[in-house]
Amino acid sequence: MNDATPIRRSGATRTVVSGARTNDARTQSQYQPYKDAAWGFVNHWYPALFSEELPEGHVEGIQICGKQIVLRRVEGRIFALKDQCVHRGVRLSAKPMCFNDKTITCWYHGFTYDLASGNLTTIVGNPDDPLIGTTGITTYPVHEVNGMIFVFVRDDDFPDEDVPPLSHDLPVRFPESSERFPHPLWPTPPSLLDDNAVCLGIHRTGESNWRIACENGFDNAHILVHKDNTIVQAMNWVLPLGIRPVTDDCITLIEDENGPKGLMQWLFTDRWEPILENKELDVKVEGMNGRFYRTSVVLPGVLLVENWPEEHIVQYEWYVPITDDTYEYWEVLVKVCPTEKDRKDYAYRFDRVFKPLALHGFNDCDLYAREAMHEFYADGTGWDEEQLVATDVSPITWRKLASRHNRGIAKPGRGVDGATKTSSIRLRRLSEGQKSGYLVDKIKD
Amino acid sequence: MATAAPYRVQLRFRDGVERSIAVAANESVLDAALAQSAPVLFQCRSGACASCTAQLTAGRAAMRRAGATVLLRSEAEAGLRLLCQTEAQGDCSFALDYDSTASAGGPVRVKAFVDAVERVAADVVRLRLELADGDWFDFRAGQFVRVRVPGTDVARRYSIASAPAELPAIELLVRLLPGGVMSDWLEHRARPDDVVELEAAFGNFFLREGVRAPHVLIAGGTGLAPMMAMLDVIRARPGRKPPVVLSFGCATAAGLFHRDALDLRALWMPGLEVRMSCDEAAGEGIRTGNPVAAITPSDAADPDTIAYVCGPPGLVDAARRHLTGLGLAAANIHAEQFVATDAGSDAWA
Repeated sequence: MNDATPIRRSGATRTVVSGARTNDARTQSQYQPYKDAAWGFVNHWYPALFSEELPEGHVEGIQICGKQIVLRRVEGRIFALKDQCVHRGVRLSAKPMCFNDKTITCWYHGFTYDLASGNLTTIVGNPDDPLIGTTGITTYPVHEVNGMIFVFVRDDDFPDEDVPPLSHDLPVRFPESSERFPHPLWPTPPSLLDDNAVCLGIHRTGESNWRIACENGFDNAHILVHKDNTIVQAMNWVLPLGIRPVTDDCITLIEDENGPKGLMQWLFTDRWEPILENKELDVKVEGMNGRFYRTSVVLPGVLLVENWPEEHIVQYEWYVPITDDTYEYWEVLVKVCPTEKDRKDYAYRFDRVFKPLALHGFNDCDLYAREAMHEFYADGTGWDEEQLVATDVSPITWRKLASRHNRGIAKPGRGVDGATKTSSIRLRRLSEGQKSGYLVDKIKD
Repeated sequence: MATAAPYRVQLRFRDGVERSIAVAANESVLDAALAQSAPVLFQCRSGACASCTAQLTAGRAAMRRAGATVLLRSEAEAGLRLLCQTEAQGDCSFALDYDSTASAGGPVRVKAFVDAVERVAADVVRLRLELADGDWFDFRAGQFVRVRVPGTDVARRYSIASAPAELPAIELLVRLLPGGVMSDWLEHRARPDDVVELEAAFGNFFLREGVRAPHVLIAGGTGLAPMMAMLDVIRARPGRKPPVVLSFGCATAAGLFHRDALDLRALWMPGLEVRMSCDEAAGEGIRTGNPVAAITPSDAADPDTIAYVCGPPGLVDAARRHLTGLGLAAANIHAEQFVATDAGSDAWA
């Protein structure tokens, strides 16, 4: 044996966690899989685009959980495939090339894939190559409903027969859940799966890890950041300074065999206490109008705010991981509109009130609050160092639930945008004042 | 070289690949297979490790040292053979319960740093290692490594308790034996940052891919180690997970270790049920008895149920009989038993 070569450590780091906090080492180990999910949970349904963003014949490229995905709509039907040519890794969506209704072709060397199966069916300038018919790219199941396109973002070897329905990755519905989760203070909330449901919203890229964004949505202590929002003051709402858990059953886990996995918070019941005043600081909420709402969250990170921002409307949010430091923030309001007039009125109110004052005014605070947290968590140590308190029962319960019921932890992205933080392309885009985001950067001829 | 006309021996691998080899009358099937580059798994070549286990499917073949190997009588009666000790008595056929690619790469020798030595029960130590920079090996959940006892020329075999995805980190569960050389090192000399030498990986006891039927895992003592690796691999697999029952047993309540780790797996895996058994009364939630008896007919209701058993020979024997009695196919019962130290195969040459 030749011992001349030095034996070296490979250089991994470890942290030791104190036992003195709510989130001590034992609690943390219970949600270790969640801590490992920096790039998101795969094998789940995520919103990809609004229907209007993918008109007939159009090709678009997106990135979710470190996976590049190309979508094409042909005769109304949408196909989603891995947006990475097997040949040299080029994104098909960067310069869409489609010779017929059945295929998509890589614009660089002509590798051509069947839209339905992903199989490599020919190569434009090399039609007899033995590689043809032996390989292909992963396809992703698609579900389009009420103006939204959802994609089942899966590992390459996730079996077709195991793909669950979209409803397993969406919040519980009403009135079927009204007995289980009564809502005496507001009318039956709609669902985006309801007949005549209209989904109006926006999506934009946020710079933080998706988990920080997600936890913000149902963290009942964060409501303080919304105290001075225009919509709160203009409507004279009583929005508490905070909401404190007072009983052990303040949260109910949703773990049905054939359904979504998540948690429901019993807000505005005797299980949570709204805090309206802090005497020491002489702060008091002065509003006149009770503003009752309730939040629930289900995998893979879907928030439902019932009775928000007004009766008969619900707000959905998704925090779709793009990379480990960016996410696509979806804010969607859903209302059932049986008539054309209902639709028009709802769209008018969305454009004039909800979009500027709720999705932007109110939620913009959430966006910057998440960014303010990001650096603390960016290298992973924040998850060990954070000092949590009683109101953090919500994120801790969520982390444990997600650790148990996720369908897969995304591996760190490789060969995709954002996998290498200092790639020359990323730096060039930055220097041109263009941020890396969710949609593909299309080549301009 | 034998002069007798050689027999034809057919080897059929799990992936359907078949190899026909010529075997002389006094030659072991393993020697012949290796000489003719058939991809069979092996390690000790002395009947002590069971890596070369195969199922005789046609013809006659007998073992040289029947009774002096780790193969149980019940296993031999069921047609199992250790190829390193088996001579053909005519043309015959064997089924190998692994793919023809399983031995690709073969074992390698690597170095690893000690990360932690922790006593997890009165007689069990958890040894955490990290492969040295530049060293690597591939393995399947369930397989074992040989560890050279530092400062000696002997090696001991341990199933890997961590999943392949954890590499370069490796976790082993070592039962302390009075006067054992490894036990002596672990109890008195092992320190973090010590360097140990390993040879890996071995064995045909590993988690089979693509099985959607229920899994029954039975572990006695440190036989829990390969099961921990298997659980972590099942958890990370894409697609619907099979239901898993893990039945873990120890002689004494103090010996039931790793309960925190098992609680975590039960928390992370909705389809996992953990049953713990102890020979003596051990309090709430712990069955009195052995872990084999904790497996009930309803656990084996699916005719395709697959079982993995690891522990002392008595437990493996009892498990085979019990599971067969519940209707499991012999081919769906995979077992690894603890083996006594053997001077020949345990040398670090």
